[in-house]
Amino acid sequence: MSPTESPSGNSPAGGHPVDLGLPEQDARLLAELAALLELADPVPDGMTDRIRFAMDLDNLEFEVARWQRDGELVGAAGVRGSVAPDTITFTVGDLTVMVSLAPATNGNRFDGWLVPGGPHTVEVRVEGHDPATATADEGGRFVLEEVPKGITQIVVHLAGQRARSVVTPTIVL
Amino acid sequence: MSNGPTITDSAPWSELTGHPRYAACLVAAREGDRRALDAIVVDLSPLVWYVARAQGLDHTVAEDVVQTVWLTLLRNLHAVAEPKALAGWLITTTRREAARHRGGADRVQPLADDAAEQLVSAEGLPEDEVLRSDRDRSLWRAFNRLPDRCKELLLLTVVAGRAEYDRVAQELNMRRGSIGPTRGRCIATLRGFLTSEGGTS
Repeated sequence: MSPTESPSGNSPAGGHPVDLGLPEQDARLLAELAALLELADPVPDGMTDRIRFAMDLDNLEFEVARWQRDGELVGAAGVRGSVAPDTITFTVGDLTVMVSLAPATNGNRFDGWLVPGGPHTVEVRVEGHDPATATADEGGRFVLEEVPKGITQIVVHLAGQRARSVVTPTIVL
Repeated sequence: MSNGPTITDSAPWSELTGHPRYAACLVAAREGDRRALDAIVVDLSPLVWYVARAQGLDHTVAEDVVQTVWLTLLRNLHAVAEPKALAGWLITTTRREAARHRGGADRVQPLADDAAEQLVSAEGLPEDEVLRSDRDRSLWRAFNRLPDRCKELLLLTVVAGRAEYDRVAQELNMRRGSIGPTRGRCIATLRGFLTSEGGTS
């Protein structure tokens, strides 16, 4: 058998994927490790599609928000796509956005809260659906009655003298 | 504008590999070519994924980091100074973003530290079950017994090897002279563990 079945890399020389002038037996062990890695810790299914969806934005002037996944939130939202979270939170700079999710007829109801508040526009993009948008009130609250489930990205267009947009990585809801 | 017949579907980068390909894609992406951006995402997402995993992030957080890195690239298409160094830029950005998620703010540890192989691994990677052969299991267990930074160095060597590791290494704040010896010691340690796991090295 061939334990060193090399992953089909774009090795430019068309040769060994790990060609660093290492002793041959070291190179062989690393090639074996490379094959093993793809078996034991493969790139998640559909990740490339989720990245593409996240990047399919018209306006490239944005800041990237980060999902908050610490504390109990990880317990709720920890397993992407298998356990649906009931609260999601993301932050960027001084902005925090919390959304609590409740089952609706065709998806989820979003009850959200932006801090600091203001008449910001919240756009929820779900793959395969038209985006849903809502405008927050002065206190920062917003509601979307029904958002389809699926690969979801939130875009916030911040009101104010200087237009800013904030986008999240996708999350599967 | 064209200097010869062009097949409808052929892109200027389609015949290229490695850094020249990434550079051509990045330049085209800057002009708004979505296919070029797609090509980079397809080619280099595994690299970004394994760099994030090598930082000890779980699957969920690793994917958050991966997407953040790509979104960061998207908004900085024109700011990546040297298109040929794209793979290196991705690695650097991924490690920085991963460090932020681990609560270490912007502290990124240099990879090739002489003490690398003496630190103890915090957490092994899972998915032991998918490995069917004894050899695979022994090697995987041996690998996971390595100190974290040894693991990262070997992972980077393995995954970035396909993205032309030599250039990529320059992008990391590694002391160049110590990479080779450290990697050699890490491989030797791996071999030792492999023997004790019952595998032949």
